[in-house]
Amino acid sequence: MAKKRMTVLQKLLDFSGIHPERLRARWVSSAEAAEFVREITEFVEDIKKIGPNPLRRRKAA
Amino acid sequence: MSAKIKEAVRALLAGGKIKGFLGLKRENGHILPHLFTDPKELDQLSLGDWRRPGEARYPLNQILIQLAIEYPNDTFAVLVRGCDERGLRELFKWQQLREDRVILIGLGCPDELAKACECEKPFPDSLVDGPRGEKAGSQKVAHVNEMDLDTRFQFWKAEFDRCVKCLGCRNVCPMCFCKECTLEEANLIDTGEVPPANPTFHLARALHMVGRCIDCGLCEEACPADIPLRTLYKKVADIVSETFGYKTGFSTEEKSPLNMIEVK
Amino acid sequence: MEFRTVLTTCPYCGCGCGVLLEVLDGKLIGTLPSKTSPVNEGKLCVKGWNVHEFVVSANRLKKPLVRRGETFDESSWDDALDLAASRLKEIKEKYGPDSIAVLTSAKCTNEENYLLQKFTRAALGTNNIDHCARL
Repeated sequence: MAKKRMTVLQKLLDFSGIHPERLRARWVSSAEAAEFVREITEFVEDIKKIGPNPLRRRKAA
Repeated sequence: MSAKIKEAVRALLAGGKIKGFLGLKRENGHILPHLFTDPKELDQLSLGDWRRPGEARYPLNQILIQLAIEYPNDTFAVLVRGCDERGLRELFKWQQLREDRVILIGLGCPDELAKACECEKPFPDSLVDGPRGEKAGSQKVAHVNEMDLDTRFQFWKAEFDRCVKCLGCRNVCPMCFCKECTLEEANLIDTGEVPPANPTFHLARALHMVGRCIDCGLCEEACPADIPLRTLYKKVADIVSETFGYKTGFSTEEKSPLNMIEVK
Repeated sequence: MEFRTVLTTCPYCGCGCGVLLEVLDGKLIGTLPSKTSPVNEGKLCVKGWNVHEFVVSANRLKKPLVRRGETFDESSWDDALDLAASRLKEIKEKYGPDSIAVLTSAKCTNEENYLLQKFTRAALGTNNIDHCARL
C-alpha cells in the first residue's frame, strides 16, 4: 500500500517542481542497524548534491 | 431542457419506482439541487445549463449519499453526466451507495463543455439524452509538463500561495466522503495559517484523489483563488493510469489500487 | 420525505454571497454555494461554507439566562426582560445614557439592527452602538 502511494507521490512531487530524488523509500529490518545507518548517510549526501530545499522557510527573526 | 429526461423521470415517479429524483430545479432565475417527488414539479426541471452549458452543476452524488443514509431502503433516481456516472461507479465500489438503489438518468455533454473540461468521456453509458461526445484533447497538464523543474516549482508555489483554506475544493467534491479529513488534522496540517502549508496541503489532497477524482471540475469552480486544481488532479489520474493501468470510474468491477474494502 | 435547497444570503460579512441551505425533512444538513448568484458565482469562504453549523449547534441558547454572581440561571422571558429594563433605567438615571453601550452582530438582519440602533439612540439616548465585525 505504502509503496503504491510512494510511487504516485514521487511523480506528483516531480510535477510540482520538487526534485523526485528528495523522496526515497527503502525497506530496512530493525535488526540491520548498520544497513540503516548506511542508507541514511548515503541519502543525506545525495540530497546535498541536489542543493538546498526550496521549500525551506526563512527562520523568524 | 430535455423532454426525454422529463418523460423518463415522470414515468419513474408515476410508476412508484423511486422515492424521488435528485436533479436540478430552476427557481426565480436561479438553478439549485432539488429532490423531485411530484411529477408536477418537473416543469421546473433544469439540466444545469445557465449562461453556458453545465455552468450550474452541483455535486448531486454527495447529496444522494446523505439521502441514502436517512432512507437506506429506498431507491432514488439521479441526474448524471459522464463524470457523475464515473463517480457513482466508484461510490458503489467504496460502499457509499448501493447500486440496486440508484437509477441513473444520463445526460451527454455538448462539445463546448467537453472541451472546457478536457473530458475523457463526456457522456454516461446510461444515456437518456444528449450527445455521445468525443474525448476532448488535453492541454492543461501538458503545458505544465513542458516546463522545467524550477519553473514548475515557481508556478505551483505561486498558485498555492493564494489558497485561503476555505476547503471549498474538499467540501464540494462529490467523491469526498471521509468523516475525518486529513486536511483538518492538526497534527498534519498546521492550523491558524494562510496559505496552508505550501505545497503539503495541496499535495495531500491530490494524493487522496487517487482512485477517487472523477474529473468533474467542481473543485476548480469552487476555488475563490482560481487555483488550477483540475490540472493537478488530472496529473494524478495520468500517473495512476500509467503506473497501475487504472482509470477512475471506468470499471464497475475493478477497484482502485488504494481501495481495500472487502465485501464479506 | 422532502429534500430541497433554499437560496439565501450568507449572514457573515457584507459581501452577501448566495448560499444554498440543504434541507432534508426540515433539518439543515449542509451548505452549498449558489452557482447562479452574481456575487460569488459558486464560490464561498470558509465561513460561508459553514453557515449551517451555528443554526443547528448544540451550544445555542434555549432559554433566557440571568447572571447571578458567577453562574447563569435559567429564567423566563418576562423576568429577564423586566430585569434588563429596570437595570438599564437605573444605570441611565444614575450615570447618564453614555454610560451604556450596545454591541450587536452582523449575523442579525438589517431590520433587527435598525431596531436595536433605534432603541439605543432614541430609548437609551446614546450613540454608543457598534457590532462584532467592526472589532
